[in-house]
Amino acid sequence: MRATLALLVLAIAGGTPGLLAQVDYNARLGVTWATTLIRDDVINTIEVRQKLAPTLVLGAALPIAPLYRAGLELALATSGYRSKEAGATTVDLGTVRTGAVTLGLDGPISRGLRWRAGVGLLRYWPTEDRGIFLRGGTTRFLAGAGIDYRRPIMAQWDMMASLRYDFHRFTTAELNARGFSQSQGVQRIAATIGLARGRR
Amino acid sequence: MSPRRLLPLLCLAAASALYSCADIAAPSRSNAYEWRRIVATPTGPDTLSFHWPQSRLPVRIWAEDTLNLPVHVQHGIDQWEAGFLYGEYRAVVVSDSSVADVIVTSGIAPKGGFSVTRLESFMAPECQGATDIELAASGHEILPPMRVYVDPRFDPSSPGVDGCMALTTTHELGHSLGIFAHSPNTDDIMYGDPVVTSLSPRDRATAELAYHTEPTLTIAPR
Repeated sequence: MRATLALLVLAIAGGTPGLLAQVDYNARLGVTWATTLIRDDVINTIEVRQKLAPTLVLGAALPIAPLYRAGLELALATSGYRSKEAGATTVDLGTVRTGAVTLGLDGPISRGLRWRAGVGLLRYWPTEDRGIFLRGGTTRFLAGAGIDYRRPIMAQWDMMASLRYDFHRFTTAELNARGFSQSQGVQRIAATIGLARGRR
Repeated sequence: MSPRRLLPLLCLAAASALYSCADIAAPSRSNAYEWRRIVATPTGPDTLSFHWPQSRLPVRIWAEDTLNLPVHVQHGIDQWEAGFLYGEYRAVVVSDSSVADVIVTSGIAPKGGFSVTRLESFMAPECQGATDIELAASGHEILPPMRVYVDPRFDPSSPGVDGCMALTTTHELGHSLGIFAHSPNTDDIMYGDPVVTSLSPRDRATAELAYHTEPTLTIAPR
């Protein structure tokens, strides 16, 4: 497994031409929806969540067995985030960008349809260090799974549609400093569509 | 489609559902102190509480260009803004006092009339401060601008005066944002005779409670 991962990273980072020829690439655009980042109680319940986030995903994978591939995926998203208090107005808190790198495996389900499961890291980059991000962004472990659908549209190009689900546990240095304990389970769903090129 | 092929996916989904459902645990704010002001009225005691509504943010603050006041005001704004997690309070320094919601000047506060709520702070020995909040005849509407006075008791170049002016300005801005009472704890910036230079967890918890409690006072249009 470690050898496979090393080969994969080498190939994707510009390794040997032989390996590069086997790499499957894809680029997709879409949106990501996320559940609540924080639930707090100050008199009333306050929830902080991200808005629907435009998302760019870049992926690459190498075959590791006749039916299976190992791959890296980079997902970048940006959106506003806001707080909502029961019975009060919604407050825009700013913009936060997220970047997720996942290392995953994928395998066939049926013709054109493949499953994918992976683990990785997710980084939150707020555009302003304030509020829950007063002490900066945060990096969290991430795990997820999804389904890819590919359909040939040109000689070497496929249309690729993906649905991803992932989860992580969210907290920040500021929340820890304020006495928040544990962390908030955050689930995200991303729907993307784009082009893929590589082995079929 | 073979169910065996979906097994990794199903296992991951089940594990994630178990792992991701717990919520973050919010801290207790029970250490907050009383921030509302109780005043006597002909019909009995009345509780005055206020916070700036979202529609009036950012609060516009004008500072007299003397005794380093603009710097102290910006420092105070930064501290109070950092006290909130959810964008409850924001303020900016403005150059035109005619559009300000809060005016900060040096000097001793003039005596107020019946409609003025005076929130005095005696910062012994180097300086003192006060915040005047004028109420409309109804008694439940604040007439802007609020006026903050910060006054050095000695020669401003004397040791300790600038530091005193800084913490006093932060303290008085705390009154102007809605903390109408003093903390009984000496390590809070809102203690009546403060000695600390920054907000304590109690100050932050109190400000948060003030901004999530329905106020009894509103603010008139500027």
